[in-house]
Amino acid sequence: MAYLELSGLTKRYRDSVAVDGLSLSVERGESVALLGPSGCGKTTTLRMLAGLVEPNEGVIALDGAEITRTAAHRRNMGYVFQSYALFPHLDVARNIGFGLEERGVARAEREQRVEDALQLVRLQGLGHRRPRELSGGQQQRVALARALVIRPSVLLLDESLSNLDAKLRDAMRHEIREIQRSLAITTLFVTHDQVEALTMCDRIAVMNRGRIAQIGSATDIYERPATRFVATFVGRANMLPAERGADGRLTLWGEALPAAAPSGGEVDVFVRPQRLKLAPAGEPAGADMARVSGHVLNSVFVGDHIEVIVAGPGGQRLTVEIQSGDAPPPDGAEVAVMWRAQDTLVFPREAA
Amino acid sequence: MTRQPRLAWLLAPATLFLVLVYVWPTLGLFRIAFNEVGPTGAMIEAWSLATWRHVFADSFTFELTLNSIWLSLTSTFLALLLSYPVSLFLFRTESRFRSLLAVIAIMPMLVSSVVRVFGWLAILGDRGLINSLLQSLGVISAPVRMVYNWTGVTIGLAESIMPYMILALLAGFGRLDRTLEEAARSLGAPPWRTFLRVTLPLSLPAIALAFGLGFILSMSAYITPKLLGGGRVFVLATEIFEQATTNTNWPVAAVLAVYTLALLLGLLALSNLFSRRLQT
Repeated sequence: MAYLELSGLTKRYRDSVAVDGLSLSVERGESVALLGPSGCGKTTTLRMLAGLVEPNEGVIALDGAEITRTAAHRRNMGYVFQSYALFPHLDVARNIGFGLEERGVARAEREQRVEDALQLVRLQGLGHRRPRELSGGQQQRVALARALVIRPSVLLLDESLSNLDAKLRDAMRHEIREIQRSLAITTLFVTHDQVEALTMCDRIAVMNRGRIAQIGSATDIYERPATRFVATFVGRANMLPAERGADGRLTLWGEALPAAAPSGGEVDVFVRPQRLKLAPAGEPAGADMARVSGHVLNSVFVGDHIEVIVAGPGGQRLTVEIQSGDAPPPDGAEVAVMWRAQDTLVFPREAA
Repeated sequence: MTRQPRLAWLLAPATLFLVLVYVWPTLGLFRIAFNEVGPTGAMIEAWSLATWRHVFADSFTFELTLNSIWLSLTSTFLALLLSYPVSLFLFRTESRFRSLLAVIAIMPMLVSSVVRVFGWLAILGDRGLINSLLQSLGVISAPVRMVYNWTGVTIGLAESIMPYMILALLAGFGRLDRTLEEAARSLGAPPWRTFLRVTLPLSLPAIALAFGLGFILSMSAYITPKLLGGGRVFVLATEIFEQATTNTNWPVAAVLAVYTLALLLGLLALSNLFSRRLQT
């Protein structure tokens, strides 16, 4: 049995199901991201773990002991709130020491541990400031220190970086990852930002409509999305309806695809924009390559890459990403689009 | 305000109105406080401090002051104990009846204080609801005196200021973020510790606001001390009324009124200082 075990967890509200029979195992010291769009139940799951929301059904077990109905203050979970939730009437040191005071840790040890925690998040000397005198990034660190200082069984991070600006977010991402690794602390990280999930966690659970759509490593999720939802939610995607040829094989824009077709039903073809290559019209496809032809609609410079929009005969569009150093073909140019057969995935049309 | 002169015009109607019906009469009151009372009891126009000397030489004035402050403190404190949980509930509840419940909580404001006093007489009187009940249960043999004394006035006054205090508390709860309580719980604080360490400290500004308002209302309350006190409860407000009507001694009434006003302003400044310290 894993260190943290959620099984069949369900939370219903008056007219909706926030979390629907969710099961998840997390090993000791592992870092798992709950990734999904807003309303997918990821925060509710985290709150159930912390004891702030009571599940309707299901079991939460920590280190072999069931804690499903244990009161929040007896769970020893370190929760970092999206808004940080620092106590405005207490200074930084007392914010961080709050959990230690509640645990009856003696003053001398408490002060030492608060000092260590301040050092860990690189806020030495700011212990006597009030939270509102700190910048957003500093407040974030205080919230992290406050959750870590109690040596929690599990660290729970709720969209903890979403209130920071992009540059600071990058820095904090690495910092938190490093702290998480050096303390070997079991971590659950709720986010809607795939970059955060991909870079900060050992495994990612992609959630949709209260369930886990897929769980696996960053590479698994990105390269082998299990469902259409995961494929489109994580990373950029081209998703186009495929036709079936007379022989039952799949075709796209009238050209045969080197991809196995699941039997029966309408299907969509999925391929990532950066896996597509542009070639002069009429250039033949190599072995194990897929190829379609169309004309360039327009190109958009995005900074680190250029998006070239290619329209097929039926007006459907593919987005091709090329390096921003390369010159995109002129608008209206006839081009061939090629990609490796192994980069093609096929999903049933209706399945979510 | 000086940077937005056009905005200041929004204040014009109220200012005009208040000058006419409040500032002008108050100035008149100040004027009367310096008049004298002749041997016949008639008021003599003068610029004299004689009435002031007379009023402050009388130890009764001191007694009235203590009575007023004590009555206001006790009734405001009682009202706060009752209002705080109600306000916290109204602030927190997600019930769809929330606005209805809030209206019910402040409903007593809609009833005249004279009517409310008679309601209390029916409940607290010698043959009132409580005494009859306790007697029929055999808890007491003779009725317990709860009206026409300080007890009755304190209870009645507390009830009459409660709606205002509930509104003031609700307005002052701004900073009370539920997430902070969740943070405290996640850090290991049981509910009562969470209340003591987070909820209560963060609602101190609201409490100060409500307490100040309740105190001012109690200090200036006249009907409740008069009717529920049954002539046995003497405070500044009742004395001013007695002097102005029964004794028709306007200078003394005016001096007492100006004195009460100064007393309230002084206490208000004190509480301002105190609540500003709370904010930091």
